[in-house]
Amino acid sequence: MKVTVKNWHAIAHWRWDLGANEPENDDIDGEGDVCGICRVPFEGCCPSCKMPGDDCPLIWGECTHVFHMHCLLKWINTAASKHQCPMDRRPWVTAERTVAKSKPTQEPPLANAPPLP
Amino acid sequence: MATPLGERAFAEHVKSKLDATFQKINDGAPGVSGLAKFTKAWMYGREFLFPRDIRTQERKEFDQEAFKETFEILGKSKQLWRVIETFTQDLRRQLPLIDEEVLEFMRQYQETEDVTIIRRMIMRVAEWWKAWAPVPELGSPIMTAFNMEFQTHFFSILPPTFPSAFKALCASTLGQPADPEMWQTFETLGLLDRYENLVASVCYEQIEARVQETCVGEWSQPMLSQLRSWMADDIVQWMIMPYARAARNPEETRSMLHGVGSRFDFHVCKTLCDLRTTEIFDIIVDFPDSMPALIDLKECLQRVDQRSELVSTLRSLYDHLLIELLANRKRLLHPGADTKDILHQYVSMIRCLRVIDPPGVLLHKVADPVRRYLRERPDTIRSIVSSLVGEGGDLVDENEPIQPLHVQVEDYSDPNWEPEAIDAGPEFRTNKPSDVISTLVSIYDSKDLFVKELQVLLAQRLLAITDGNFDKERRNIEILKIRFGEAALQVCEVMLRDMTDSRRIDQHVQSQKPCLMHPTIISKHFWPPLQTGKLQMPGQYKEILETYSKEFTAFKQDKKLRYLPQLGTLDLTIELTDRTLDVHVPPLEAAVIELFSTKDEWILDDLSKELNVDSSAVRQALDTWVDYGVVSEDKLHHFVLLETSESGSAAGPSRPAAPRTDKSLKEFVGKPAVVENEAAPVMSAQQQEAEQMRVYWKFIEGMLTNLGTLPLDRIQTMLRFAPGYSRSIEQLGVFMEAARREGLVVNTNGLWKLSK
Repeated sequence: MKVTVKNWHAIAHWRWDLGANEPENDDIDGEGDVCGICRVPFEGCCPSCKMPGDDCPLIWGECTHVFHMHCLLKWINTAASKHQCPMDRRPWVTAERTVAKSKPTQEPPLANAPPLP
Repeated sequence: MATPLGERAFAEHVKSKLDATFQKINDGAPGVSGLAKFTKAWMYGREFLFPRDIRTQERKEFDQEAFKETFEILGKSKQLWRVIETFTQDLRRQLPLIDEEVLEFMRQYQETEDVTIIRRMIMRVAEWWKAWAPVPELGSPIMTAFNMEFQTHFFSILPPTFPSAFKALCASTLGQPADPEMWQTFETLGLLDRYENLVASVCYEQIEARVQETCVGEWSQPMLSQLRSWMADDIVQWMIMPYARAARNPEETRSMLHGVGSRFDFHVCKTLCDLRTTEIFDIIVDFPDSMPALIDLKECLQRVDQRSELVSTLRSLYDHLLIELLANRKRLLHPGADTKDILHQYVSMIRCLRVIDPPGVLLHKVADPVRRYLRERPDTIRSIVSSLVGEGGDLVDENEPIQPLHVQVEDYSDPNWEPEAIDAGPEFRTNKPSDVISTLVSIYDSKDLFVKELQVLLAQRLLAITDGNFDKERRNIEILKIRFGEAALQVCEVMLRDMTDSRRIDQHVQSQKPCLMHPTIISKHFWPPLQTGKLQMPGQYKEILETYSKEFTAFKQDKKLRYLPQLGTLDLTIELTDRTLDVHVPPLEAAVIELFSTKDEWILDDLSKELNVDSSAVRQALDTWVDYGVVSEDKLHHFVLLETSESGSAAGPSRPAAPRTDKSLKEFVGKPAVVENEAAPVMSAQQQEAEQMRVYWKFIEGMLTNLGTLPLDRIQTMLRFAPGYSRSIEQLGVFMEAARREGLVVNTNGLWKLSK
């Protein structure tokens, strides 16, 4: 007997690739990590966004903390932030992605960050 | 001896009186000539007025001169009242003369039932009356006295059958040429005054008969206007006789008829209203066709205050209906169709009552039991939502303007403001521009439930889409956005965008590296909880999945794909030695058959282990293939591949693939009645609730382990600390009861503890 696939309509969901420290075969039910600022899952969107995913990307700090980009920028733009990571109070430095990038433009430098909605 | 003095005084007194009277009568005429003249006049007057038997005696010639002279004399001597008195006495004596004739006529009538006899009788009595009536020159007092005497006697001798005979006579004149003489006679004899109710009831009965005759079951055309024009043509014409004979021109006629006419018009409305009220249930069932009847009813209700009757009729109807439903003795014998039918009925009712009563007071009063009942049914929301998205339901009228579901705020500056209807209860809220959907949604306190169910339904439909065409869903969501507001449906918006994105991503991936798989990639947090599983796709599938996954990550560098392996569908071609099958199956089925391509015989448990899936689910998948005739179970739990078709059972061709495919499709569409628990890809709101409760069970288990026994309210108090816990204590009680039935806990004297 031979089974040939002609067409396959599969269902999948996407997740942010948070780096190697995440187990490859993690629980599919897992809620996933939440943004330390808005407490919404990374795969959700920050309070000021309506669409998740590419419209509401993440930002990595060199301190290894990850946030919704919009959340972090909003924080950094307040005077009280003193440009520190909200989690550990180290000066915020946007890190290159843990995953190697082919297109470096994908992570906009902080200075060129788009104005916040 | 009497005192001569007293006697004399008395005699004096009598004499003076006599003199005075004599003087009065004699009127100062010489000698007794005045008295003689008076006597003559008196005799003449009495003779003149005397009521004779007209059968035997001719009436005396009326001599103008003699009459004038006579009554001048009588008037002068102030003795006119005596003449009248004498006349009245004469009259009383003579009146029985008519008895004989009247009774004879009545006897004839009873034999023949011919109303013309009654007419003849009345005319004959009128002849008597005319013969006896004093001339009008004598002034009205004598006329009044005469009439009273005459009528009293006449009415007293009429037998009890007369009223109905009289009514029959009146009724017989309907539609006939007017007979003013007869009506005039009626009035002369006082019959109209005395039998006014009878005359009116002739009209009433005509109206009732007409309504019965023309309107019963006739809902497709406006009857009220027809009835009114019938009234104007037939009845009003007739009414002129009894009510407006005296009118000299149409203007007067109109004003004279006005009062009585509006009374009859009221009766028309009332009769029609009564009829329609008794018919209301069927009118509602017939709804779009019965529109004219509803408009009639509305108009009638404005005229006749019978709203409370309508309300109570409807309420008792619905109470009855619901009791029947609750007692499982259904009018509609399909148990599955219930909610839909009730909803449908309810919607018709909404539409009907909105026609009758736009502010919705009636609806508010009637709808309560239905709404309560619907609220208790588990699949109401689903039915409403599926009709919202236009799935097999005509609950929603396409033509109805879509309106946002706003809580109405009283607009104090509205120039068209009208007070609430008088029978509106204190809890009634005007919600003027509400459409059917708003009314349905308002069955529940919040629209969140709908949005949630809508999300579930949308997810089911979107996931079932394989050709990338979801324009219909998009359009539905756009419409629903207007109703529920943009914000509430944001989640649905994300779902739709996931669909578009999936398509774009797939196009890109396919251009890079053609692949047989076209996944729908969803944003997990924006979709209802989907059925998850750890199905391991074997063999070639695994490769396909991995390849696609890699391509995806290459395209979207910071994202990864996580498959929901049990969801979706595959189109497979199965090539066997003697036949080829094209099938459309869910992944689990595909995985099972794939394993058979590596090995011809499998034991159920091995398959289950290999695929990392519960054996009952594998069993179902195997059944699919048994149905297709590809696999057969030769021993219990032992399955073999049928490389060549089993001619004996001939399963393959005789049981075509169609039903099975249907089923797998159905699983996606999610008809709640047929879905096996593990088959529905999207959990219904109810299942989600059960799922949540399972989480709380962990808490309960923990506290009972630590604290031994606890009363229900303590458990509830402690659960309140759990995040997102929003159950009432009653719900918790139900849940604990369920747990007890499963043998997880025991309850002693209201204290719960874990069973050992």
